[in-house]
Amino acid sequence: MDALAFAHQRARGTLRLSFKRRDAGTVLDGLRQEGCLKARFPRTEHGAWAGAVTLNSSGGVAGGDILDTTITAGPGTQATVASQAAERFYRALPSTAPAQVSTALHVAPGAALEWLPQETILFDRCAVERRLIVDLAVDAWFLGVELLVFGRTAMDETVQEAQWRDLIRVRRDGRLLLHDAIRLDGAVQSVLDRRATGGMARAVATLIHAAPDAETRLDALRQALAGHDAGASAWDGMLVARVVSPDGACLRTAVVAGLNALRGGRPLPRVWLC
Amino acid sequence: MPAGTRIRTMTATMPTRTATDLTKLLTWLSPAFPTGAYAYSHALEWAVEAGDVRSERDLFAWLDDVLRHGSGRSDAILLRHAHAARDPAALSVVAELAAAAQPARERRAETLGQGDAFAIAAEVWGAPLLAELRASGQPIAYPVAVGALAAAQGVEVDPAALAFLHGFAANLVSAAVRLVPLGQTAGLRVLSALEPAVQEIAEGTRHATLDDLGGACFRSDIAAMRHETQYTRLFRT
Repeated sequence: MDALAFAHQRARGTLRLSFKRRDAGTVLDGLRQEGCLKARFPRTEHGAWAGAVTLNSSGGVAGGDILDTTITAGPGTQATVASQAAERFYRALPSTAPAQVSTALHVAPGAALEWLPQETILFDRCAVERRLIVDLAVDAWFLGVELLVFGRTAMDETVQEAQWRDLIRVRRDGRLLLHDAIRLDGAVQSVLDRRATGGMARAVATLIHAAPDAETRLDALRQALAGHDAGASAWDGMLVARVVSPDGACLRTAVVAGLNALRGGRPLPRVWLC
Repeated sequence: MPAGTRIRTMTATMPTRTATDLTKLLTWLSPAFPTGAYAYSHALEWAVEAGDVRSERDLFAWLDDVLRHGSGRSDAILLRHAHAARDPAALSVVAELAAAAQPARERRAETLGQGDAFAIAAEVWGAPLLAELRASGQPIAYPVAVGALAAAQGVEVDPAALAFLHGFAANLVSAAVRLVPLGQTAGLRVLSALEPAVQEIAEGTRHATLDDLGGACFRSDIAAMRHETQYTRLFRT
């Protein structure tokens, strides 16, 4: 009975969002919002690019929550999806299952999609299994970023223990390009203090760009990240960068520089600027 | 004739399973086996340049991390799943995953280059699934090739995982002895101190699924990326 009572309190959210091409621009095609996941559509001024902003009305993710997002960029579309705010992963009760957060992105032929959520903030003893699955057409253009903040240092928050599994999988034309799995189980802070892991870092970002000409932007990305504890590499029409920082603010500075190097002068979504 | 005498004769003439496994593994994971391992530093060359690895103590800490939280553990899981693959499709799934799980271009080159060289050398013993996969043109990561050959030759997976991890650690210690530089004895002390990590990771991955892949060696990944732009390089990675 107790288990059932808890089960009722857990948040569920489903978001289905798709874009289609109309004339020279990109417009919303389909939208389904269930539970705590919603999308908003700010007016954009960037020519053909459409924009959407996702939000989680439950105010944060706790153990047992299940969030499921699917975004489809139809043929020839250009869309940027950001999140309204940082997503918070709160302490899970020992009896609950890890939160399950799944995001599937489909990018059709000739389409471009940007997945630019703001920071993910972990709290002590959170338990999360998160997956980002990206399916690209052979000539699709994709830019995605994930920023993890292990406790807000300015608030004296620390993540001593957690169960964190974060997977990014990218396929192009059905072929697996990247399987990037971050796994931190147990004593997170003491693991991040070690030199080959975080070197005392409290924030980590992964930046992924895939496009037929992605590799030509490697030098620009490396220059943008110079001066940060970061690296970038390119192979197979894909560019991957990793950044570690002492806190979320430093991480954001590095990531914004990296994004600016890859976005051809378009301004970041407004939610990123406030 | 007392029964005991006969048994003693049997054990003396028939090699035990451990003996045949060990004999093959000592060959396959020896530094002399033609995988070109000596050319790869797994980004230690950058870690030395950047000042992260300057001493015997630093080297131990860095390699202990890479074994426990990075490629050591992931490779042991991949080796075990390659060993368990019973048909070309199953081995292909592990190989695809292993190639995609690399965080940087040079790390990919390191594991695929050694995997390909190992698969060629493996033909001396024979590993039909591995040969078929290679003929199909699919890139084969090093732990996948070792797991597949061990399975084909009836070598048990536990000693194969242990030997692979030991070979990985020994190769990197040898690279660091040249790079830091360290004395031979200091290198041996590090290798000796890494024995628990090697054993614990070999043992601890026994029941791991492919969903358990992954780690947190972010700065080792970054080192691999930065090595690509390192001005003076002795190593390919």
